Amino acid sequence: MNRGNLKRSNYQKRVADGSMRSNEDMDSTSDLKNSNDNHRNSIRPVSFTTPESEGPVPRCTDWESEVETDEMRSSVRCDMQRYRRRILAAEFGPRERNNSSGSSDSRDSPVPGEVMEEDEEVLMRRQKQITYGKNTLAYDRYIKEVPKHLRQPGVHPKTPNKFKKYSRRSWDQQIKLWKVKIHAWDPPAQEGSELQAIDEVDLDDVMDIELDFPELDPDSSAQTPKVSKASSSQADSYQGTPSKMMKIDTSVDLEMS
Amino acid sequence: MENAKEDYKIQSFDLETQKLLKTALKEPSTVDLEKVSNVIVDQSLKDQVFSKEAGRICYTIVQAEAKHNNGNVFRRNLLNRLQLEFVAREETRLRSLQEWVCFVTFICNVFDYLKVNNMPMVALVHPVFDCLLRLAQPDSLNNEEEVDCLVLQLHRIGDQLEKMNGQKMDELFYLLRDGFLLREGLSSMARLLLLEILEFRAGGWMLSDTAQKYYYSEVTD
Repeated sequence: MNRGNLKRSNYQKRVADGSMRSNEDMDSTSDLKNSNDNHRNSIRPVSFTTPESEGPVPRCTDWESEVETDEMRSSVRCDMQRYRRRILAAEFGPRERNNSSGSSDSRDSPVPGEVMEEDEEVLMRRQKQITYGKNTLAYDRYIKEVPKHLRQPGVHPKTPNKFKKYSRRSWDQQIKLWKVKIHAWDPPAQEGSELQAIDEVDLDDVMDIELDFPELDPDSSAQTPKVSKASSSQADSYQGTPSKMMKIDTSVDLEMS
Repeated sequence: MENAKEDYKIQSFDLETQKLLKTALKEPSTVDLEKVSNVIVDQSLKDQVFSKEAGRICYTIVQAEAKHNNGNVFRRNLLNRLQLEFVAREETRLRSLQEWVCFVTFICNVFDYLKVNNMPMVALVHPVFDCLLRLAQPDSLNNEEEVDCLVLQLHRIGDQLEKMNGQKMDELFYLLRDGFLLREGLSSMARLLLLEILEFRAGGWMLSDTAQKYYYSEVTD
């Protein structure tokens, strides 16, 4: 029966078609942890043959990830077109700069004729990092509190412009700093808990707590409903001592004894 | 509201489940969306009437969730379930033709309704073709139930599928022509269905007036 052959040709087509494979490249865990920009995927086999299979078998791809990658690709392409228009506008009339919000990019105006980042893979990776940062309660509170026209450079966090040319290291650093700044708008973990901390604890301990920013979990999906890691389990925070506070309690005990 | 019942064909569910679904449509963040997607998938595999239109309720819930909180829990669960069922489709077919046919109907309906940026989901194209190619195999062509399912799907989404991958559609139709010509055990109903779909595609995914008359008018004796 030729069904076996059909299966194999399907898989080979999947492998040959870049889009099916590319969600491996979008694995943000490795992206965020890896410092070098090289194509990791070149060392991971795209397909392999096991004794039981009739032919090459592709890496496991799940449909949802493929769909999310496609969605991101379309939105990045859309952004690219919009950005290109802004470059043209900058070339032909700085006064005509488009002030409409709704663009997910930074409000950096493009310098006329500057070279923009066009590599889709890079853009998608950057967009994913931006989406993680924006998908938080802190960011939500930030944009509600500070409208765009009232943002002060330096004081208020500004989304890095994914279309500008930066080295990998420079970009990752910008993202890191941006996320740290956004944490200033983290919602309080519990009513009055911050006041408690100041009353009961040494100033040194307070400094330690504030610098201990929880990193957004890179494994979580880009679209998880907005959650700040600080208040990851709302139910728990109303029962007993929050884990953060427990650490303080023990250190206070040590101080006291 | 009664519209929901009619639009989404959820009459076959018990009242509690109907309530759950209606809430999911309006306030998706307040319900367990994984449970909702399982409920929908399970019913689609059992109920042929529901499977023919289940894509619609899925689409509405996906949109509602995205709008509400930018989430995609429901879609993720739905696609995961679909993928699992797809991988196990051969066993399903051996166990129950009815379930297999319901599955194909459902996945095609999801393909039809769950668009991303107004385009069908690329991830579903190959799986849908795989299902249809399976239905075009000699053993399936012997079952009217499977032939009927095959032509129904092609009527509904054939043109979209062809746009996504013309080569695969050609491959499918080679099988259908062969099936029509060479299979000796085919029932006359099956042959009629196949002939109609061959003409349908040849006409650009629609039937000419005369063909329409031939296939669909009542024969008066």
